[in-house]
Amino acid sequence: MLLARIALAVIFLAAAYAKLKPQTSEPWSAASVMTSLSMFAMQVDSYQLLPETMVSLAAHFLPPFEMVLGLWLLSGIALRFSSLLTTLLLAGFFAVMVRTFALGLEINCGCFGPGEKLGPRTLLRDGSLLALSLILTAGAFLRSRRRSPEAEPASAVSATQRAD
Amino acid sequence: MDIQTRLFRRQATRIAGVAWITFLMILAGASFARAQDPAQTKPAAATTKAKPKKLVTQEALGAPVKALGNPSAPITLEVFSDYMCPQCRNFYINTLTLMIQDYVAAGKVYLIHRDFPLPIPQHKYNWDAARWGTAAARIGKFEVVDNALYINEPAWEADGDIQKIVASVLSPSELKRVQKQVAPCLAQTPANLRPAAPAGESCSLDAYINQDIALGKAVPVNATPTMVITYKGRRYPPTSGFISWPILRQFFESLLSQ
Repeated sequence: MLLARIALAVIFLAAAYAKLKPQTSEPWSAASVMTSLSMFAMQVDSYQLLPETMVSLAAHFLPPFEMVLGLWLLSGIALRFSSLLTTLLLAGFFAVMVRTFALGLEINCGCFGPGEKLGPRTLLRDGSLLALSLILTAGAFLRSRRRSPEAEPASAVSATQRAD
Repeated sequence: MDIQTRLFRRQATRIAGVAWITFLMILAGASFARAQDPAQTKPAAATTKAKPKKLVTQEALGAPVKALGNPSAPITLEVFSDYMCPQCRNFYINTLTLMIQDYVAAGKVYLIHRDFPLPIPQHKYNWDAARWGTAAARIGKFEVVDNALYINEPAWEADGDIQKIVASVLSPSELKRVQKQVAPCLAQTPANLRPAAPAGESCSLDAYINQDIALGKAVPVNATPTMVITYKGRRYPPTSGFISWPILRQFFESLLSQ
């Protein structure tokens, strides 16, 4: 579970970095980040899923969100919620990719920045990440459930003692 | 003066005289021959030199210019495209035409069309369409023919009758100049829809299309349409698929604001 959590965290941080970094040899700057996000917006738009206003919003929101999610996973805090959010996000990505591939749209995946074509390889990779995230989420919820029955007898005893 | 000297002088004088007459006769003969050469014959009123006879029978055309706008614009947009690709048509009609009217006209973007006909059986006439576009580009008529090819693609995709489409946007003389170039090249178009190929002419258009394909493979282009954007010498990674004009414009603005 620890390995799965760290792997997913690293992947999300790498994905965020690839989308935010300067896409040419220019140095990092606020302008370069905005250009990179605009470039990512083009990739989101190529999926032909969202209206134009939503495309820009999604493109500017997603990379910072991936970074926050990656850090959250890495911290291990409230793993049930972070892993659940990760699973939902990856499920959404995977569904969109499958739909786009089925429509025959030949576009870039945009998963780790520009230049990677959407195809069977990217579907397999993202499908595997989704599977890993599902395992992590299931593991986090099971672990939480195992811990909860252990806590009950103690609280029951203390309640009984108080009644006495 | 003694006799020998006199004799010598007489002989020398005779030899000199014969040589001089011979020289004059050669000179006269050469002048006569030159006067008889039609190329050198000038009409009485002409003040300029007569032009040398053209030795080539076909029109000397340069490389095709499949580009729109100002080459010194800050942004260069190269679009690798297949005339029979639906996404390419969609991109041209809904994005590029708006961009041409706006950013290309304003000198912000220099648009370069690169032919990248895909080796797909369903795209039967894509090479022929690229040849018509390239031939039109060589006579400075790329923009109108490119537009006609995309707009009317549903009409010519079934039977390959591209000539009809091109004829609708060119004058008869322009059409003839384009037909002469494409006629030896049209492999896929049915024979009854092809212009007659002049005897002995070979296809010179495919070399230009193959140049574009080679450029595309170097990018690499995996699908069409693929855009390559260059800003102030910095080339951005390629983007494939349909991109709407507002999103593309947003990207251009982020570049121009740097």
